[in-house]
Amino acid sequence: MGPTEKSPRLLSLTLNGRVRHDAVPDNLLLLDYLREKCGLTGTKQGCDGGECGACTVLVDGRSRLSCITLAAECHDKEVETVEALGASGRMSALQRGFHEKLGSQCGYCTPGMIMASEALLRGNPAPSEDDIRDALGGNICRCTGYVKIIEAVQAAAEELA
Amino acid sequence: MTELLPEFTLLQPGSIDEAIAMYADRDATREAIRYVAGGTDLLVNMRRGIGDPETLISLNGVADLTAVTENSDGSATLGAGVTLAVLIEHSTIMDRYPAVAHAAREIAGPGHRESGTVGGNLCLDTRCVFYNQSLWWRQSNDYCLKYKGDICHVAPKGDFCHAAFSGDLAPVFLVLGVEIEIVGPEGTRRIPLLELYTGDGMDHLTLKPGELLTAVHLPAEPLPALYEKHRVRGAIDFPLAGVAVALSGENGKVETLTIAVTGTNTNPFLVEDLDGFAGSSLDEDDQTRLAEIVQKQVSPMKTTLVQPYGRRRIAGAMARRLAVRLLETA
Amino acid sequence: MNERQDPKTLKASPAGTPTPLIDGPEKTTGQAQYSADFYSPDTLTGVIYRSPYAHAEITELDVSEANALEGVVAIVTGDDCSQTFGILPIARNEYPMARGRIRYFGEPVAAIAAVDEKTARKALSLIKMTVKELPAYFTLKDAMAPDAILIHDDKAGNIEREVHNEFGDVEDGFEQADLVREATFKCAEICQTHMEPHASLAEWDDERQHLTIRTCTQVPYYVHLMLAHTMEIERNQIRVIKPFVGGGFGTRTETLNFEIIAGLLARAAKGKVALHLNREETFLTSRTRPYTEITMKIGMTKDGKLTATQCHALQLGGAYAGYGIVTILYAGALLQGIYDIPAVKYDGIRVNANVPPSGAMRGHGTVNSRHAFECLLDEMAKELGLDPVEVRRRNLLIAPTETMSGIKITSYGLDECIDKVETESGWKKKAGKLGPGRGIGFACSQYISGAAKPVNWTGEPHAVVNLKLDFDGSITALTGAADIGQGSSTIVAQSVAEVCGLDINKIRVITNDSAITPKDNGSYSSRVTMMVGNATIDAASRLRDMLVVAASEKLDASPQDIEIVNEMFRVSGGQDEGLPFQEVVEAALVDTGTITVKGTFTCPPEFQGGKHRGGAVGSTMGFSYSAQAVEVSVDPDTGQVTVHDVWVAHDCGFAINPLAVEGQIQGSVWMGMGQALSEETRYHKNGMPMFTNMLDYRVPSIIESPPIHTYIVESIDPNGPFGAKEAGECSLSSFIPALVNAVEDATGLRYTELPVTPDRLVEALAKKQHRDKVAAARKASEGATS
Repeated sequence: MGPTEKSPRLLSLTLNGRVRHDAVPDNLLLLDYLREKCGLTGTKQGCDGGECGACTVLVDGRSRLSCITLAAECHDKEVETVEALGASGRMSALQRGFHEKLGSQCGYCTPGMIMASEALLRGNPAPSEDDIRDALGGNICRCTGYVKIIEAVQAAAEELA
Repeated sequence: MTELLPEFTLLQPGSIDEAIAMYADRDATREAIRYVAGGTDLLVNMRRGIGDPETLISLNGVADLTAVTENSDGSATLGAGVTLAVLIEHSTIMDRYPAVAHAAREIAGPGHRESGTVGGNLCLDTRCVFYNQSLWWRQSNDYCLKYKGDICHVAPKGDFCHAAFSGDLAPVFLVLGVEIEIVGPEGTRRIPLLELYTGDGMDHLTLKPGELLTAVHLPAEPLPALYEKHRVRGAIDFPLAGVAVALSGENGKVETLTIAVTGTNTNPFLVEDLDGFAGSSLDEDDQTRLAEIVQKQVSPMKTTLVQPYGRRRIAGAMARRLAVRLLETA
Repeated sequence: MNERQDPKTLKASPAGTPTPLIDGPEKTTGQAQYSADFYSPDTLTGVIYRSPYAHAEITELDVSEANALEGVVAIVTGDDCSQTFGILPIARNEYPMARGRIRYFGEPVAAIAAVDEKTARKALSLIKMTVKELPAYFTLKDAMAPDAILIHDDKAGNIEREVHNEFGDVEDGFEQADLVREATFKCAEICQTHMEPHASLAEWDDERQHLTIRTCTQVPYYVHLMLAHTMEIERNQIRVIKPFVGGGFGTRTETLNFEIIAGLLARAAKGKVALHLNREETFLTSRTRPYTEITMKIGMTKDGKLTATQCHALQLGGAYAGYGIVTILYAGALLQGIYDIPAVKYDGIRVNANVPPSGAMRGHGTVNSRHAFECLLDEMAKELGLDPVEVRRRNLLIAPTETMSGIKITSYGLDECIDKVETESGWKKKAGKLGPGRGIGFACSQYISGAAKPVNWTGEPHAVVNLKLDFDGSITALTGAADIGQGSSTIVAQSVAEVCGLDINKIRVITNDSAITPKDNGSYSSRVTMMVGNATIDAASRLRDMLVVAASEKLDASPQDIEIVNEMFRVSGGQDEGLPFQEVVEAALVDTGTITVKGTFTCPPEFQGGKHRGGAVGSTMGFSYSAQAVEVSVDPDTGQVTVHDVWVAHDCGFAINPLAVEGQIQGSVWMGMGQALSEETRYHKNGMPMFTNMLDYRVPSIIESPPIHTYIVESIDPNGPFGAKEAGECSLSSFIPALVNAVEDATGLRYTELPVTPDRLVEALAKKQHRDKVAAARKASEGATS
């Protein structure tokens, strides 16, 4: 993120449950806004744009690729990242599922995987294996072969049921 | 750190009229001002130094683009801003135009489909392995005919850009015979979808400066249709060949047959010379003939790393088997 | 750790219990910091100026205009580093930034540190380079052509290294055979494609003349050595920290150019520089599995006994040596050690070319040779009317034994792996009976549990682990073993807990900070569990002995009578409840204070390979084994191969952490699937890489990824920690031939190129159909005339 000659705009949004107001340039990507402006480095960059899913976050409860979303387009919206899922210092069911079932090895795709799974479970609390595959189709993992990722989401769905 | 986007001013109109007016007000060249909806393709290209617009007009806040309307005559109208995710889940689409929902589901991944729109997929920029590369890469290769360069690296001897159209919705809409609505500074026009495309990979749309695709009109009595997308992976990939077939039949014989293809040519197109299949029961010889007709009309070039021979053959085979499946259930 | 664990259900044996990774919660909550995650306002942005030519002499490099741009803090070029780097002391022929000669498209030439990215990129566009272009070679044929100019002056014929060895009498072996077959296999170059793009954060303290670098490496120790060497400073002027690493798979088993460039930039800028490579640059810095052509020849009796094998391998190694000498040796070294073959001959050639240097990818060097062997074996078995599984069974080894090349085999679970997979997959009911369009294939593989001889010979132990026990009753394990997601830190914690009789929650593991943790050679060649595991057991045993002595004094008993049960130290057989751990700790600390102990491990010389040239490569303390069956269907219209199921059994000696072992097996099987079905690099005619993004380089998505039924076989290796061997690489190589054999079962087509993409397969199937038609017609006409 570099300095901009154009004057920044005021971006107001709800980020992980808290209202924020930030001056941002029009060309700032949501990913860079989260990582550099807000210090939320849980959201990862894995490719040069829209190819891997590592940067997946929720915007108004739906999964979005923050590396090809403009921060300015999130004005007045609710943005959620992996940092917000746990409650009272404990992992959420999905986070626990990924941890305990080893859905996370190197961990780099994990925040994106968990957020895409979160979007799934909010709309479909009892997903079939195919539903899980469809929901994670845009998220590449290079460690697990996806087997334990599917088990992780299933475990979370069961815990929440 | 992501690669920087060029600097631009983002305008966020609330209505179609406002968007058109904003475009007209900027009095800019076509390159300097762009509409953007989902941005899943445009922003990626801009990150790679393709395009350097001073102004982006975002259509995401334009409420009158996002409706799926069932009209009294039984037809349906899709706002161009309807997202692919909505298309997949919408009961009207799933029930009455299942091939549209299926094609939408085949596009990229869930995150793209939440942002990507009907209009965006129809207007999707053409693609080529010499074009969809970083600025440094294209610079090092003297750019290409499509953008900033003088030659097409796919066919260096010609002066034609072979970048392939790769949207998944267009072939389904083509076989359904949809019309699209275009709003511009000079008013509104309604044209068959086929007329949206120029057939030139470099400048692939017939939209005039300031014009905006606003809606897709689906017919009241759609023919049964199917779409099949060929790609290496089960998600993310653009089509290496995508075939839509619409077919009506009776007593095991074809009445009408329409085929459209994407991913192989500079435009999505309707396959010609299919009249001879009226009355056919699609026996083995006719199936072979059908596949050959499609194979002849698709012209995949080396715009991807996947070889043209296979893509051509596969397009023909997919058309054949989709037609057979439709006839079986007709 | 697993906070919900009820202490009452505490497992008596941490080793062998499925254990979620001890650093898992950081990863699932977004708290884990990777090398690109350290931000501070004073950090400068680094960018690299890369060559737009594949092969050229630099005639002029002008950075003055870039240097004059406001906001540019430092620029470094090849002039700023006159030392070559490379993993092998005998083959360091690469500069971090080109000096004089550029040898591949994208090679770093200069680098800039600026106040922000925008300025840095602007400055990049102001660098002016003029060159004299040279002929460039991107294929084996072109690079080896007699009139090709030399890419490195000291490498005649553009051959980086040739290997020739023969064990037993191969000619005699082929004469003993009833069937001899030979086939050539072409395997595309593939990339590791770890999810984390490369990133380093380098900080130069000009007051102290000291460098601190955080970098995404599997080998912090080698990075440390290379930074000192190339920056020409003392090792004690450097601190290397490895934060969380987003995978490696071999790319990061050697120091990479960007890590040195980050150090050079930070020193030149006298500050802190973040150098984040994008995905395209990460692909260019991939240290791939090289494009390989293998000609394999096998002799077999009519009963399926192997009599001899001969392998000829050509690897397109790329522009620099890297790990290449080792890669070409591995391609031959592991022809032995899996089956009983009386004679083995190997000829390998690694060729230089103007593509990015290849290196060590998961299964280093062995994968493509194994692929060729297992495919040809399958073909020959079927030609002889034998069951391919049975043929493998007829050629098993009996442990303990030793290969002709002098490598000891102390445990061997391949027979059990084969049995397991044959049963679970339903092989007997399926093989040859599923088609047409559906088929099942089978293959086996082996891999090493750590290279027994380190590439950098120092005479030090092969692994050192420190344990600290203090007043708080927690044990801190200090290790240089790089956890890159494979779970090595958890193995260390489990091992300490097991030996000391403690709950794993009492063990904290601190890794990879050269200022704190002992040196470790790093995470490569699947060495960590074997070597660091054994060193950990050594350290923990010493600590336990000290605690037992302290407890025995307090309990007024002899140390050998003390047992540890549920964290209580008690006299064996006695009625007393004994002393709780915390009390024993307090007793042990009297007079001595904080206890630190050290454990070490060294592979004994007799395990370090044969005496022949290159004999150290392939040498190991233990081979792991894998057998695998893959069931596929093939769409005859589209050439699309769908993998329905995979059954894999892996002999890992003993699964210290069965959860992580399963994860490693599944991950390697699946990575094999990527190589088999969709992944490949491609270069344009001018040497430009065409694949350097994640759309054109197709890592499989979750949609087409199959269920993987995983079976752990435990042969209990006498030298492994608790009997453990390798788990993370071996099963990659058996997937690929099993898949190709399954495609043959489904279609009758023996496909000899990788990857088996739909466009290739549909073309091959069309040709086969044509051939079959012609043959049938000929047969019919012959029948008519006879």
